[in-house]
Amino acid sequence: MIAQLLFAVFFGLLLLGIHRKVIARIQRRPGPPVWQEILHMLKFSFKTTWVPKTASAILFVGVVLVAIGIWTAALFVVLSGGSLLILFAIYMLHKIVEHGFGLSSGSPYGKFGGVRSVISAASEIPLFVSVAAIAIFTHSLLISDIIAYQALNGPLLFTIPLAAVAMYVVLLSKMPFGPFSIVESKELVSGYKTEHFGLWRAGLEVCNGLKTYVLLLTFILVFIGGLPIWLILIVMVLILVTLSFVCALSPMLSPYDSVTVQTLIAGIMVAYVALLGVMS
Amino acid sequence: MKKQYALALALVAAGSGIAAMALNMVHTLPDWAYMGVLVIAFPLFVLGLGLYWMAREGEADIPFLGY
Repeated sequence: MIAQLLFAVFFGLLLLGIHRKVIARIQRRPGPPVWQEILHMLKFSFKTTWVPKTASAILFVGVVLVAIGIWTAALFVVLSGGSLLILFAIYMLHKIVEHGFGLSSGSPYGKFGGVRSVISAASEIPLFVSVAAIAIFTHSLLISDIIAYQALNGPLLFTIPLAAVAMYVVLLSKMPFGPFSIVESKELVSGYKTEHFGLWRAGLEVCNGLKTYVLLLTFILVFIGGLPIWLILIVMVLILVTLSFVCALSPMLSPYDSVTVQTLIAGIMVAYVALLGVMS
Repeated sequence: MKKQYALALALVAAGSGIAAMALNMVHTLPDWAYMGVLVIAFPLFVLGLGLYWMAREGEADIPFLGY
């Protein structure tokens, strides 16, 4: 477990580095090396660290612990074949964590990032709809049962492709530099994490690495099925590259447009799942 | 936070994780309890180690409020 946890952190950060590199190459820039995010995490660990005077000290530090803790728990839920509902409850907790990051610092940029994080909760609706579509076919929300179902009946990616698209949009909304990344947009400096510097940012980087690894792993297990670990890692990189293409070729939406597009996707998905429910 | 407290925090967290792993390997600790220990110990270890490396013990700063 400890080895898997450390591997997830570093491979997740490597994926984020690949993401930045692919975006840079598409935009005809050299871009940073693929291990840049790992270096970032280490660099921030060695930077001078303190708590700003205007910050709520307990929340400012505690939210970093919670951020790492919930994604550690999410990794174990996925690895043990646990329930998708627990995983998505953790996903919702991350929204609260982003909000806590922003509000704890006392900085207006952080606060705006925290508020936008709540606004962007619209991205979670397609997630719930994709869960409903999965439940209609597999009659279970345990990841182990979903993998077993796919071993017998083939990947859910081909059975319920629109649910996979909805989950893909959720992945996209969590990727940096994407069309839905309104919580970190440039007019807010770094959004909710503006004032979390030094070690606190290193902790956030650990959380981001885990989050990226867990979300991509979940997508593969739920929509493609159980694969050998080496193949899972390759598929993770392939999915990530497609996400990077979308991020590189689409502008960041305004908060209003971001919520509108995500709500529209959610509406289409609700109609799709209702149709699936009637047909099954 | 004093550096020795940060080091103690990192060591206790790492020790808890390793002890949980050892107990799990000899089937004394169930998987869910092992995972629970890691969920609590891992964040504490990350922050404890980082604070030991670089935390400043002096005055706090005010945040950046604009140009």
